[in-house]
Amino acid sequence: MRMDLTLNGRPAQWEAAPGATLLAVLRDEGLVAAKRGCETGDCGACTVLLDGQPVNSCVVAAARAHGHRVTTLEGLADDPLMRRLQDALVEHAGVQCGYCSPGMLVSLYHLLRACRAEGTRPGDHAIREALSGNLCRCTGYVKPVAAAAAVAAALAGIPATGTEAR
Amino acid sequence: MWDLKEYRIAGSPGEAVAMMRRGPGKGVYIAGGTDLFLFPPQCDYAVDINHAGLGAIARTPDGDVFVGAAATLHHIATNPFVTGYAGGLLAQAAAHCGNRPVRSTATLGGNLCNALPSADLAPALLALDAVCYIVDEDSQESLPLEDFFEGPRRTVLGDRLLAGIALPAAGAGWRAAARRLTRSAEDIALVQVAVALSVADGRLGAVRIALGSVAPVPMRAMLAEAQLEGEAVADLSPDRLADAGLIAASECDPIDDHRASAAYRRQMVGVLTRRLLAGLLAEQPRNDDQGSAA
Repeated sequence: MRMDLTLNGRPAQWEAAPGATLLAVLRDEGLVAAKRGCETGDCGACTVLLDGQPVNSCVVAAARAHGHRVTTLEGLADDPLMRRLQDALVEHAGVQCGYCSPGMLVSLYHLLRACRAEGTRPGDHAIREALSGNLCRCTGYVKPVAAAAAVAAALAGIPATGTEAR
Repeated sequence: MWDLKEYRIAGSPGEAVAMMRRGPGKGVYIAGGTDLFLFPPQCDYAVDINHAGLGAIARTPDGDVFVGAAATLHHIATNPFVTGYAGGLLAQAAAHCGNRPVRSTATLGGNLCNALPSADLAPALLALDAVCYIVDEDSQESLPLEDFFEGPRRTVLGDRLLAGIALPAAGAGWRAAARRLTRSAEDIALVQVAVALSVADGRLGAVRIALGSVAPVPMRAMLAEAQLEGEAVADLSPDRLADAGLIAASECDPIDDHRASAAYRRQMVGVLTRRLLAGLLAEQPRNDDQGSAA
């Protein structure tokens, strides 16, 4: 079936099988930041934004994207907030094997973008809640949470530009 | 890979039912899809209800809170009408389902129409006297949620569509609380108990005790409720509340499985019911207690 959507801020057309998942189509399109992990909606390695909300793209129909906005990590590569998160994850040694990192980054980006818009600063509980859908078997979560807290502390100074800000 | 031949997107509830009946072959309604993609059913087409106008949560002029079948769990968990209704019982149930990305897409309709004995929203909804709205191509029917479930993975729907549920205005000020026991926070519940009640002039008005994961369908413990309705709060000793818990435990019909034994589940129904009742009765009277019993 044919789908018209906004992919990473630009109009896109997809031709996909009616039963395809969003993850399958994204990866066929060469957008491979979202990973195939559990494929049961548990691990969050495939997290992307659908209309600005974090979703497990492995359990969402590709057809859901028709008429909607899909944003993947690739689409946020130039976003100042995402760059800060990526840098912080590296600085705090919150990356080990790296398989979960794209999903974690999208989840944290969603949280911090909302907090910046509201003018609030998330505590550790809110950060952990935002990461509740991202399984990581390497880091034990402490370092990714510390990385996010460091970015949260400087949130007001990070400019709101990039794909999702539009 | 889900071997669907066609994905149909309905623009209204009536159109969804018509698309379901059009054939050829077998169809399934889809909203969030978070359960369907785990175990894709053998069928020829899916009917998407996300564009059918069923995603809203609203308060009606009568004061009922209506939650559309395609409302997401995140929407339910954060909507002010739901968080402000009966202590936010339903919002809390939604907030405990799955994880944040699952709640972005999983819906009320999916949770109920899957009709698992452990449906996360069912005990809260049963305790709040939720009414289901079911649509046909050009008609609509409403029935109490108790009558919606027929067995594990079976409902009264047939090829009709659940449009949503309504929480009656009368329960908006009820005191309510719930507990669920799980092996891990995200896992399917072993035992769920939700209790809602109203207090006026020192007496219990309505009492609702709803149970999940302990019978073929989510259920109410009506014998236990009847033991308490109309009783003076001052007369409800810890022993009386423990008795009510034991009655509730006798009403359920749990099974042994790899998560827990039937005996454990039954015992926990008694314990949780007693604790929830005691907690709610110990709450300080609220301004709206009086009004809600009227």
